[in-house]
Amino acid sequence: MDHQIYILVIEDELEVMDALIKDLEDFEDIFPIESANNTEEAQLIVSNIIESGDEIGLILCDHVLPGQNGVDFLISLESQQDFIHTKKVLVTGQAGLEDTVSAINKANLNYYISKPWTNSGFHEVVIKQLTDFVIERKLNPLKFMGLLDSVRLSEAMRNNLLTDN
Amino acid sequence: MKINRKQLAGLIIGCMGLTIPFFLNIEGLSYAGHVALGIFLLAASFWMLEPVPIFATSVLVILLQILLLSKEGLIFTESTGEYIPDAYTAFIGTLANPIIILFLGGFVLADAAVKYNLDKNLTRILLRPFGTKPKFIVLGLMIVTGLLSAFMSNTATTAMMMTVILPIIAQLENKDPLKIGLALSIPFAANIGGIATPIGTPPNAVVIGALSQQGINIPFGEWMALAVPLVIIALFFAWVLLIRIFKPDTDSIVIDMSGKFNTSKNAILLYLAFGLTVFFWVTESFHGVKSAIIALVPIVFLTLTGVVTKDDIRKLPWEVLWLVAGGISLGISMKSTGLAEWIVSSIEWNAFGPITLLVVFSAVAVLMSNFLSNTVTATLLIPLAVSLSTSGVAGEGFNLIIVSLVIGVSASMAMMLPISTPPNAIAMSTGTIETASMAKAGITIGLFGILLVVLYAIFYWPLMIN
Repeated sequence: MDHQIYILVIEDELEVMDALIKDLEDFEDIFPIESANNTEEAQLIVSNIIESGDEIGLILCDHVLPGQNGVDFLISLESQQDFIHTKKVLVTGQAGLEDTVSAINKANLNYYISKPWTNSGFHEVVIKQLTDFVIERKLNPLKFMGLLDSVRLSEAMRNNLLTDN
Repeated sequence: MKINRKQLAGLIIGCMGLTIPFFLNIEGLSYAGHVALGIFLLAASFWMLEPVPIFATSVLVILLQILLLSKEGLIFTESTGEYIPDAYTAFIGTLANPIIILFLGGFVLADAAVKYNLDKNLTRILLRPFGTKPKFIVLGLMIVTGLLSAFMSNTATTAMMMTVILPIIAQLENKDPLKIGLALSIPFAANIGGIATPIGTPPNAVVIGALSQQGINIPFGEWMALAVPLVIIALFFAWVLLIRIFKPDTDSIVIDMSGKFNTSKNAILLYLAFGLTVFFWVTESFHGVKSAIIALVPIVFLTLTGVVTKDDIRKLPWEVLWLVAGGISLGISMKSTGLAEWIVSSIEWNAFGPITLLVVFSAVAVLMSNFLSNTVTATLLIPLAVSLSTSGVAGEGFNLIIVSLVIGVSASMAMMLPISTPPNAIAMSTGTIETASMAKAGITIGLFGILLVVLYAIFYWPLMIN
């Protein structure tokens, strides 16, 4: 199988998890989705993905979770080489100012989605983040053109001086 | 490294191809010819089935030729009655062949043009006269794409033009056939536009490189005089075809023309360098300074002034230069070992009339390059043309320049499938087009291309060359 880029969803409430997964439906063909109910489980999934040589493009993470909270989990990833390009999005209604600030400063948070979200707004965020990921990772954009922001991907191709063969 | 079945086949056939000729004794072929045949078989199968990237095959070819066929190599340290080995410098020298330097100049200019948005801004200005009627917008897009891809790579031009048309496509009604027409117009125009100048696309370099080894120099302007009239007709045909097959539903579309030319000092230096270089290239026949020498001037000028930096130079698509050089290098041995002549002599060429020969070469080139890289197609076919001409077996009516042009131009006329060219792949990736639509329009253009090339080869090119 090809090199895979995963979307990881971390959320403890079942209903919210279902809603997130449903909103991510369109992406699943190209970005396989993994879900975890707490950060411990997430850590296990993350390790497995990295071990098999794949990577994580996007993490959608709740803040208030049983055990370690979401922000601390994201901060713990930030220091690791494997996740430099991984896009980190906090999906929460309950993170206080202090947690939010530390997520931005220490975890390099890319986006904050506050609950409840709208379907179209959510889509836009995911597209933007994954497009950023593909461009920063310098992946071949062709596979992603139909799904992600094709104008920005074309622009990236232009800047990469593609040639004929 | 993961390897699929096709690649595995390529690897096995290639390695067998390289070794088998050592154990055979083919009549009428020198021992060196056997060695060259081995290298040729390896190169052909690697280039066609791609177990390794095509540019990697090219450098492998150069190394194998040095090891197995050069005076400094392992086998032919002395001249024999049958084979006078070339010095290894002949093979590595292809990396600095004048056509490679000409391409390098083109790369540096194109790189700088992208950096300072010259390509985008020119597009905006040039599109303005075409108004808002969809069919004229498509015409405008195709003309601009063709023009840019004559000087930049077809692929980079397509990527840039996608940023222009994707917002238009997004505005259109879901079922409007114009969407498909637009998405196809760009790669088709880019493929065709690349034919227009020597630096437009690598197959042109293969033709020019092979001819220069035969002592035939084709100045920049002369190539354009030969190719541009054909490009214009082909573009026009493609336009008519696309707007007929994919009749627009809407009667007006809007393109965002906003944006300003970069007026920084560096950008202005670039505009100057670009304009002057193109001017002196096109007028090569009048002043006689070789285009490869002219190509060095913008390289020097843009690096001295800091318009192009070390990082920009590192970003250049060097692999394309290797690809072309490997092809030129292979041509050297095919000729000097008598291999090319042997291949040619095994076919009864006299059975073909001169016109049939042109049709066959054109059709084979179009067919091959639909599935293979255009450059590889030209590289594999040109040595045949050269040896047909030098051995004289094809008879009086055979003109080397014309047949080489037929091959080179036809290699760019292949646009039937997403894999035919990188511009096609980009257009396909947008999800706007079905393969069937691309194939329908692409086959029509391919067939028209063959007709057009053959007509030019019979009626127009002979007038220009003699």
